[in-house]
Amino acid sequence: MAEETKEMNPEIVGFACSFCTFKASEMAGSLRLKYPEGVKLIQVPCSSRVDPAFVIKAIFEGADGVFVAGCHPGDCHFIKGNYYTRRKIVALKEMFDAFSMKDKLRLFWVSAAEARRFIDKVTTFYNDIKEKKNEREKA
Amino acid sequence: MKGKKLKSGEIENALNRFLKNEQHLVLGFRKDESGVSQQIFKGNIDNYSLLNPVFGSNAALYLRRLFSKGLKVMLMLRPCEIRAYVELHKLTQIEREDIIAVSIDCPGTVSSKEKKDVVPTEAGQLAEYFKNSDSMRWACSVCSEKRGVVGDAGIRIDKANNYWIIPYTEKGEALLSDIEGESEEVPAEMLTPKNTKMDMFQVDMATFEKDFEKCIMCMNCRDMCPVCYCIDCVFHGDEYIPKGDALINKIFRSGSTKMPQGKELFHLIRMYHVSQTCVGCGACEEACPQGIPLTKYFKGVSERLQSIFSYMSGRSFDETIPYVTFLEDELKDATD
Repeated sequence: MAEETKEMNPEIVGFACSFCTFKASEMAGSLRLKYPEGVKLIQVPCSSRVDPAFVIKAIFEGADGVFVAGCHPGDCHFIKGNYYTRRKIVALKEMFDAFSMKDKLRLFWVSAAEARRFIDKVTTFYNDIKEKKNEREKA
Repeated sequence: MKGKKLKSGEIENALNRFLKNEQHLVLGFRKDESGVSQQIFKGNIDNYSLLNPVFGSNAALYLRRLFSKGLKVMLMLRPCEIRAYVELHKLTQIEREDIIAVSIDCPGTVSSKEKKDVVPTEAGQLAEYFKNSDSMRWACSVCSEKRGVVGDAGIRIDKANNYWIIPYTEKGEALLSDIEGESEEVPAEMLTPKNTKMDMFQVDMATFEKDFEKCIMCMNCRDMCPVCYCIDCVFHGDEYIPKGDALINKIFRSGSTKMPQGKELFHLIRMYHVSQTCVGCGACEEACPQGIPLTKYFKGVSERLQSIFSYMSGRSFDETIPYVTFLEDELKDATD
């Protein structure tokens, strides 16, 4: 038993806009599509509600990765919320880049109809984080 | 660019004339035996010093939540302080109508923690002093804008050690008309040149943790930061940094925790929150009792983040802070 290396399962926190990405995740559920159990979604009224402080807090409280997801630019329920998100998250990514942890944060645009795209994006992110985490564990 | 050459003693006379009105104040520097310090002058000017070679705190700190009451305040401060004032105006913390901001060329400063009675207060001597000494603060040695080119007017110092006053706005013109002398062409070469930019800031988390190991979470850096202005900071209360029962609950949830906890959280969140408004004055480092190289991180990060939007904090009143505005057609490669 001791010889076998245990696979690390990462925890991912996702901030999902309640009008697009959260709807997409619900649709994925009704289509019986699966996404990794380690992904925890937090519903926010708009992706611009996400203060970068939330992201930093999530990472330092133990999340291995964080994603922020909202409507496509121009489709925001509140007209222009996701344009602000884009600026904020791009700046936050640049800051994470300065601290050599850019791979921990991603930004997606997923509309309410794109259940498969949501599954695809989330699973790719989860697998990338898992790969990196297991590599680090071995080293 | 046109400006007026200042005769010796002329600036003191002009300030005294300005202070004749009871509703007028001047925020500037006062020189005495113990050194130079910030002072708000009322009534008349005494022991006035144009330059302050010692940096203790950023004077824009005292201007927060200063709203129109019909009085007039003239700021005779360093460029970093005027730039912090410009940022505070954009953040609606100050009303611009009542303030005349004059930025004065800054040859550099020494830390208030060092011995300060040996430092000269006259521009030429000060520049000479810094040539032979390495006591200049790190924040000043990498400062990208030591020239007095912000605010309503600027006082520039040329190579021959003459002082020039140059107006940038209508208020500056009004100030200039009050000063004796003829308007003439300003020399192109000045004592304080335009500085080059720093190298791109890059660290890893291990270095970051090592540098901040000594942090005791006194939050002096936040309190002394001129642009960290929120009355209700996210670090008040138990949400971000739990205390008491909330802390014990957290430890039961997550296991052994190194204390004081939440250092990285505090500094990274603050770093992001001031990223577009940080003027790189180094007041945080000055306030730190543990000597953490805060300016290296805050200035480095803010320079990187500001360059995405080609923004520079405090450069002009007309630019909007990037996080409160947007263009529809930009940042095409933002998503993954």
